[in-house]
Amino acid sequence: MGGRRSVAPPVFEQARARWALLAVVVVAVLALVVVPLAAMVRTVTVDAGGRVGAVLTAPGFGSAIGTSLIVAAAVTALAVPVGAAFAVALRGSHVPTRTALRVAVLLPVLVPDFVLGFSWLAAFGRSGFVDDLIGWSWPGVQSLAGVTVVLAVNAAPVAYLLTVSGLSARAESDLEWAARAAGARPWTVLRTITMPLLAPSLAMAATVVFVLALGAFAIPEILGSATGVHTVTTRIYADLASSSDPASFVAAVTLALVLVLIAAAVVGPADALLTPGLRTTRTSGGSLGAAPGGRVAGRLAATMMWCYLAVAVGIPLLALLATAVTRAVGVLPVPSNWTLANFTAVLTARNGEALGRSMVLALVAASVLAVLGGVVALLERDRAGRAAGTLVALTFVLPGSTLAVGLLIGYGRWIGGSLLIIGLAYLAKLWALAHRPVSGALDRLPPEETHASRVSGATSWVALRTVLLRPLAPALLAGWLVCFLTGLHEVTMSSLLYGPGNETLAVVVLNSEELGQVGLTAALSVLLTLLVLVLAAVLWWLVSRVRRSVGVPDVR
Amino acid sequence: MSAEPAAALELRDLTVRYDGTGDGAALCGVRLEVGAGELVALLGPSGSGKSTLLHTVAGFQTPTEGEVWLRGSRVASAHSAEPPERREVAMVFQSYALWPHLTALEIVAYPARRRGISRAQAHEEAREILERLHVAHLAHRRPAELSGGEQQRVGLGRALARQADLYLFDEPTAHLDTHLRDLFLDDLRTRRRETGAAALYATHDAQEALGLADRVALLSEGRLVQVGTPEEVYHRPVDAWAARLTGQVSELAEPSGTVLVRPEWARLDGDRSGRVVAVWFRGPHSDYVLDTEVGRLLVRESGPPRHRPGEAVTWTLKESWPAR
Repeated sequence: MGGRRSVAPPVFEQARARWALLAVVVVAVLALVVVPLAAMVRTVTVDAGGRVGAVLTAPGFGSAIGTSLIVAAAVTALAVPVGAAFAVALRGSHVPTRTALRVAVLLPVLVPDFVLGFSWLAAFGRSGFVDDLIGWSWPGVQSLAGVTVVLAVNAAPVAYLLTVSGLSARAESDLEWAARAAGARPWTVLRTITMPLLAPSLAMAATVVFVLALGAFAIPEILGSATGVHTVTTRIYADLASSSDPASFVAAVTLALVLVLIAAAVVGPADALLTPGLRTTRTSGGSLGAAPGGRVAGRLAATMMWCYLAVAVGIPLLALLATAVTRAVGVLPVPSNWTLANFTAVLTARNGEALGRSMVLALVAASVLAVLGGVVALLERDRAGRAAGTLVALTFVLPGSTLAVGLLIGYGRWIGGSLLIIGLAYLAKLWALAHRPVSGALDRLPPEETHASRVSGATSWVALRTVLLRPLAPALLAGWLVCFLTGLHEVTMSSLLYGPGNETLAVVVLNSEELGQVGLTAALSVLLTLLVLVLAAVLWWLVSRVRRSVGVPDVR
Repeated sequence: MSAEPAAALELRDLTVRYDGTGDGAALCGVRLEVGAGELVALLGPSGSGKSTLLHTVAGFQTPTEGEVWLRGSRVASAHSAEPPERREVAMVFQSYALWPHLTALEIVAYPARRRGISRAQAHEEAREILERLHVAHLAHRRPAELSGGEQQRVGLGRALARQADLYLFDEPTAHLDTHLRDLFLDDLRTRRRETGAAALYATHDAQEALGLADRVALLSEGRLVQVGTPEEVYHRPVDAWAARLTGQVSELAEPSGTVLVRPEWARLDGDRSGRVVAVWFRGPHSDYVLDTEVGRLLVRESGPPRHRPGEAVTWTLKESWPAR
């Protein structure tokens, strides 16, 4: 943690302002995380009495944990190499259609996860889109293998993004050119210079992907549950659905605690080992590295990447659209069978209200989070502040299912089933996402710029407003954008916390899918995906505009 | 006490220790006074604590022990510290620290805006300052569109706009070539005469420190080793380390004890013998390295080289200073 660069510029050095802000953060962490977790521990140890023993030895318990671990490990092994390969390949300017690929590679994480799962089913499942067209299907899509593959597709962009940031921060092009000048060939440079420099970033990507896969709910629920493949998260969902049974309630709480313990066991050591390595160097090195390959290799790489993306998201999304506009399941998706009936059927007042609730929840949560994330980032310059930052970063590890169960036990009797409890869950889960970009931007900001403002006569608040806010605006907006989009289609926590008449749009889609309404689910999914993609494009454009206007270079 | 004008800056046994998280050098019991209108150079190698000292004076860093006094009032102690904006100090940064989203004019107008002056008037003032620094034509450019020398001038302009009692310079010439550096030092002398402000100027360049300052303070590992006029620190260094920091020096083991000899304190042709080891032509003068029975001696004489390596020569000392 040592370098001066890791210390945020000095803003609130007056003890009173610092402590007030620190108190806000501590109270928020207590209320959002500590109290719920404590309530869960109390439920399992005190309230449940002797039932825990029975829960732990129940047949489904061990198998759910085993399945979750296998899935998370396999997803990590698949997604990290794919993401890293994309990141390294897309660095060279010799790859045709590079700009388009850089956007397309993010699609699998922009599309809501339950939509991705459902669209794979619609594309490759029995009597799916591909089956209709060429008579081929993959029955395995609804099995452990299908869950793993689709989760890996979903997580690969995360690995890609983490590798890209590692590439720009650590693999300075000068270092690679020096190796070329020393006689190394492009692939040797990749092997001996780029990859060793990237190792900490790749390890961090692996940790993040593992934790994401461990806490994933929608894809295992859609692709696994029907065929009896249960992960910890889907088991929690099933146990809570039959909440009249006290034993299954205790089982759900116990599983939620086990989930967080596994995540902590993986992340704790990884974080301790990796943080110094990731913090050591920060260079302004350009990304136009001495990456391997000439024009032929570039064309080959581009072709391979487009093929992957076509199978991973292109065909599934096409299948989703076809399903939505086709009259009924089982008929060929040809123009004579096309209809808009599914779309008119889902355009109901109830669905409109659900969309409104999703929008408001995402909007409020993202805005509160932008402030909370910024506050924590600004506090990170003494021990207490950095401890708060670490605490917030750790909330990311908490699986959504665990947070939801904890909030339900902690506050359910007062605000259970309300939008408020869903909103609190979003705050707890997404805080780290809002905090990360701002914290990173502050790290990159030379502390001298704040010093210069203070020594020119600006108070803390004036310095914040006049010289910090503008350079930080892209990061604040980016954090807001990520939180807003994630909140808009969040389903893991919402599906556990919603009350009657308080469904979010994502919950409506999930319920519709579980009722087997294929056409309606497809129509809703298409609409939700379009909404997310359009909003993402608009906000993305806005972020890069702000970025350019403050002279911060674009993220490559 | 009351009749004398208060010193622009007074450091009373200033000690700064880091809690293990910073990578700056610490300070240990530093006592230093900068009089009104005086320019004190803070000379030391990198890592000696120059930046820490400036940061403590500016208020970016709080002392662990000791006090900082500006114009007769205490601004920092171990228990309380005035924030930077309430201290009448201005600072020129080594990295320039220009805000990328503002234009040169807005940057220089910034301190005036913080004093509560209207935008129009602040811009008027800033334009005058930019004119004096010969960069008024760059007023509407952003830092990214300025060269290193231009950025430096804007940084200096911002400090001047602060209208401070004390100017702090953190190695402001480190990034400049010689020509720009001379221009800049000229600017600085003029401004100081005009505004009468005092300055504390951190540098690791002995020539710059000696040529610029009224007094020079030598800093080593957080401690002040010597404070004096440029002549004092050059001619009467407290020890061999201080002598080496302020210029070239030879250490000779004379019978009376070790003595320090500057290159121009010795000359060729005298009553003692030696052998030339190396010769460097430096333009106006030539440097000879001699092997003598009392040690290696560097001799400087005007004109082109008269001897070649290997030749036997004679030499003598015009002046020397005992090493303690």
